[in-house]
Amino acid sequence: MAFLQDITLGRYVALNSPVHRLDPRTKLIASLTLMIVALSARSFVPLLTFTVFQLVAIALTRLSYRLVLGNLKPFIWLFTFTFGLHALLTPGRAVFLLPLSEHAVTAEGLHLGAFFAVRLAAVIVAASLLTLTTSPMQLTGGLERLFRPLQRFGFPAGDLAMMISIALRFIPVLVDEAERLRKAQLARGADFGGNPLRRIKNLIPLLAPLFISAFDRADRLALAMESRCYQGGAERTHYHVLRLGRADGLAALTALGLIGLMLYLR
Amino acid sequence: MPQPAIPIRTTAEISIGISLAVFLGFVTKLVQLPYGGSINLSILPILILAMRHGVKLGTLAGGLYGTVAFILNPYVFHPIQVIVDYPLAFGLLGFAGSVIERPGKDRVLRIRIACGIVLGNVLRLAAHFISGWVFFAEYAPEGQPVWLYSLSYNATYVIPETIACILLVQFIMRFVQRK
Repeated sequence: MAFLQDITLGRYVALNSPVHRLDPRTKLIASLTLMIVALSARSFVPLLTFTVFQLVAIALTRLSYRLVLGNLKPFIWLFTFTFGLHALLTPGRAVFLLPLSEHAVTAEGLHLGAFFAVRLAAVIVAASLLTLTTSPMQLTGGLERLFRPLQRFGFPAGDLAMMISIALRFIPVLVDEAERLRKAQLARGADFGGNPLRRIKNLIPLLAPLFISAFDRADRLALAMESRCYQGGAERTHYHVLRLGRADGLAALTALGLIGLMLYLR
Repeated sequence: MPQPAIPIRTTAEISIGISLAVFLGFVTKLVQLPYGGSINLSILPILILAMRHGVKLGTLAGGLYGTVAFILNPYVFHPIQVIVDYPLAFGLLGFAGSVIERPGKDRVLRIRIACGIVLGNVLRLAAHFISGWVFFAEYAPEGQPVWLYSLSYNATYVIPETIACILLVQFIMRFVQRK
């Protein structure tokens, strides 16, 4: 079992940068559209344009390049897989013969492999930039506002966002609770180690009280919500009201310009 | 006063169940997989919510958990993959609730619970499989058995998680059913 204190929720890094201050809706729509356009790119030029834009955007976020680009690390195997398979299996001019096999690395394969690897990296960095500069709560607020028009057709955007907000809020509470239970069970001689099958069995003394206390907490939460006259589906107001400002307009225009340029260079 | 579409008690339970799922995803890494993923018990609370509240609310809880998992730690390769891998895959887990609407004898109930868990996870595997297929078809060279890559990759974590959940849900349901 991992040390409970080591849990970091999400990847958000709180800084005061122009990108951090943008409305979550602007960031959500801009990154999604840019990702789709990057995926539809057919040559290196639009992808490299996007990469340069991303490098400038990273500077604007005041995050270190190491931190942002470090998000690519878990995907190393995917890059190797994508690049390696294309380099080996694309027919063309052989540049390097693999010993003990009939396969050869081809020039066309290297080009295609590099193209797909850069495209994948661009999409991953775009998603990372969104979550590094927007807190989970802001993202939830942004999603709720974007889906709100669907409420007219019976989609309970407000209620769903409320559930996500409660879930996010209660994770640290459950971490504390689990830590307390873990110590209590350790004091009674519990052992959370062993092989995977044994570990599953050993988790029961921790999981059973954790579930019971979580459901108790849900009871108390429901009572608290009822006594404050919470009504699902009712129009709710927010403490932090999302407002699109001048910076959002500027960011949207820049994104639109970039999308236009990428589509033109496609 | 008009009644809300989802009772407040259920809203609270689903919300805290999702917290529990996220929490378990962080701390119960039974096996760390070489490519960054892990076999964990995050689906356990979603399965229990599905068993307690049926398919509709189970699917809702799963879909919301997928959304939270995406907000906290997104793996994005393709827009379709985001929808299929997160809200859809976990939403389909809610179908685990379809086999447990009526209470039964202890032994029959156990088998029914196991069947529900298998059903939910088969559907979840199907979603991850399709998403992997879309991804590999996009990135792997033509003529590769992309379905095989996707199936073997996704089965490595869905199957052990299913087995772990079958073992654990039996115990935990016994405690939470009284609530």
